[in-house]
Amino acid sequence: MLTRVKSAVANFMGGIMAGSSGSEHGGGGGGCGGSDLPLRFPYGRPEFLGLSQDEVECSADHIARPILILKETRRLPWATGYAEVINAGKSTHNEDQASCEVLTVKKKAGAVTSTPNRNSKRRSSLPNGEGLQLKENSESDGVSCHYWSLFDGHAGSGAAVVASRLLQHHVAEQLQDLVEILKNSAVLPPTCLGEEPETTPAPSRTLTRAASLRGGVGAPGSPSAPPTRFFTEKKIPHECLVIGALESAFREMDLQIERERSCYNISGGCTALIVVCLLGKLYVANAGDSRAIIIRNGEIIPMSSEFTPETERQRLQYLAFMQPHLLGNEFTHLEFPRRVQRKELGKKMLYRDFNMTGWAYKTIEDDDLKFPLIYGEGKKARVMATIGVTRGLGDHDLKVHDSNIYIKPFLSSAPEVRVYDLSKYEHGADDVLILATDGLWDVLSNEEVAEAITQFLPNCDPDDPHRYTLAAQDLVMRARGVLKDRGWRISNDRLGSGDDISVYVIPLIHGNKLS
Amino acid sequence: MAYAYLFKYIIIGDTGVGKSCLLLQFTDKRFQPVHDLTIGVEFGARMITIDGKQIKLQIWDTAGQESFRSITRSYYRGAAGALLVYDITRRDTFNHLTTWLEDARQHSNSNMVIMLIGNKSDLESRREVKKEEGEAFAREHGLIFMETSAKTASNVEEAFINTAKEIYEKIQEGVFDINNEANGIKIGPQHGATNATHAGNQGGQQAGGGCC
Ligand SMILES: Nc1nc2c(ncn2[C@@H]2O[C@H](COP(=O)(O)OP(=O)(O)OP(=O)(O)O)[C@@H](O)[C@H]2O)c(=O)[nH]1
Ligand SMILES: [Mg+2]
Repeated sequence: MLTRVKSAVANFMGGIMAGSSGSEHGGGGGGCGGSDLPLRFPYGRPEFLGLSQDEVECSADHIARPILILKETRRLPWATGYAEVINAGKSTHNEDQASCEVLTVKKKAGAVTSTPNRNSKRRSSLPNGEGLQLKENSESDGVSCHYWSLFDGHAGSGAAVVASRLLQHHVAEQLQDLVEILKNSAVLPPTCLGEEPETTPAPSRTLTRAASLRGGVGAPGSPSAPPTRFFTEKKIPHECLVIGALESAFREMDLQIERERSCYNISGGCTALIVVCLLGKLYVANAGDSRAIIIRNGEIIPMSSEFTPETERQRLQYLAFMQPHLLGNEFTHLEFPRRVQRKELGKKMLYRDFNMTGWAYKTIEDDDLKFPLIYGEGKKARVMATIGVTRGLGDHDLKVHDSNIYIKPFLSSAPEVRVYDLSKYEHGADDVLILATDGLWDVLSNEEVAEAITQFLPNCDPDDPHRYTLAAQDLVMRARGVLKDRGWRISNDRLGSGDDISVYVIPLIHGNKLS
Repeated sequence: MAYAYLFKYIIIGDTGVGKSCLLLQFTDKRFQPVHDLTIGVEFGARMITIDGKQIKLQIWDTAGQESFRSITRSYYRGAAGALLVYDITRRDTFNHLTTWLEDARQHSNSNMVIMLIGNKSDLESRREVKKEEGEAFAREHGLIFMETSAKTASNVEEAFINTAKEIYEKIQEGVFDINNEANGIKIGPQHGATNATHAGNQGGQQAGGGCC
């Protein structure tokens, strides 16, 4: 067993190294199905870079590792900066992907809405900014929504390419039904579509005990019978609907990849980090180990957390505990500080289970000799010796090497969504949201990135249309480093990142103007 | 498209000497009168024929501005040829050649062919650097030399092609190890069995793979 899993690790890594995108489904083991099928989308670099085939070829130079940036003639919304570089040879392709666009979310024809605008006029005179958005957006049918995405593929580029082309459509689709509700920020979302929403503004929604006993707070003397009121009813704010929509979009994207696998070759899986700016708020949705931080006035505000075997240990262990068949009789869900040896049977050893963050002793049994569900530390931690990231899209065919054990049940497509209210702060030209794949964060800390940005941007002309792209290029350069005799090196002679690195620098000042 | 060899070039030199214009003239036969500062690296590619063989030139156009110097330096590696450009109407760009050359020699492979280019030869009235000075510098440092105009296209083809000829000769002489991609030379797919890996790189996506 030990040797088998060792070779599983080696083989999985080998698969990545070899990098022929069509054939590496990580585990192998038959049934991957995709190899004779056409690609869903051809491999390429992000569409917004506008690269020709020749340029894509140049970009894949693992020796000089050119840092790609937006061309002079191309602009992203908000003057967003972007830069990327390919890995130092671990895979033929750059398996990171990105897309960025402005979506117009329009109400679907025939969608159920019942939101009268009764309160909007009154509210729009309030100086809290909310009313302003409402006014601006109610002029058109739709709501415009800025979208940035970043994907980090593994075991092939297929899933990342597909997600970079399609996830935005799922986001738009999920938001479609909500447009009218979201635009009407003065009124809380109706609990049940089709019902007359409450006319009282949000803060006074809590019913008095007396009122709820009477069965409602309908306007006294209103002709129609007030709808039934319940004693306790959760107040669901608008932003929670957006969060829900993004969560659903991730799920739908994952399901689509699963379905389309029967007609297309969609290789591997990917992490996904997206930002949606809607009605003055930023929604950062993350599934995987990319990272988003805001740097505001030099201060760091984390906007995501990473999902890795280590951070998700308890969820994974619990799933394996509840559904032991997922481990195929080859793995134990328990964690030990190191591999257990046969000669240690009967001894007491430190361990932890799904319910523990601390450690305790248990008597070693036969089952404990199995390979641990989660093994390895830091960047080397793997689920079932196979994968080092626990959330994302795709990977439906990924199996433990040379076995029939699927990894997918342990992976989740659910993002964590964080919200940032742009209207609450006055942002300067040097306040930015940074999104980057783990290639950046593996070698630079949040503090180092913030320091680099706060050094770089103030030295750039505030009107230079390229300033955020230059900042992104600077960050990639700092993480990639330069090739010396002993590999890629960054400051203080530390090892640079040999991974694909992709970075967005999104200026928040445009968010102020927008809403 | 099939090619016998691919050569990687890099274009270096002070800002504003006409590097991007030379590339544009060579690949698109156009001239760009406004200076769009290059802020990272840009790429161009064109097929040429030498000795009856199709050769693909892959050209990296770098940023000349001082603040991008460390990024530019990092692109020398893996180039088979370099065009080192100065502006015949600005003496300082000629004076900086030694620094550029030192940089190039330090960061590139020793066999890299360097073509020295005095650009903007159409601006004879504003000339500050005599042709003989360029020739002398080239002789002294073992470079090939030409004066060009990215505006009139004079000598632009020749500059790129003569550099390729020099590289091609070195290959014939066995100076280059063509199997080491760090030398900036790739053998094309049509060259047969030894190039399976190159073919894979170039072809991009093949649907096949046969994992089952
Ligand atoms: N008359 C004339 N003008 C030229 C010639 N080549 C370039 N120029 C002009 O010189 C300016 C700079 O040219 P670029 O090609 O952008 O310069 P560069 O070397 O790429 O500069 P960086 O990107 O900053 O390193 C532009 O305004 C061009 O129009 C030439 O042969 N003749
Ligand atoms: Mg240029």
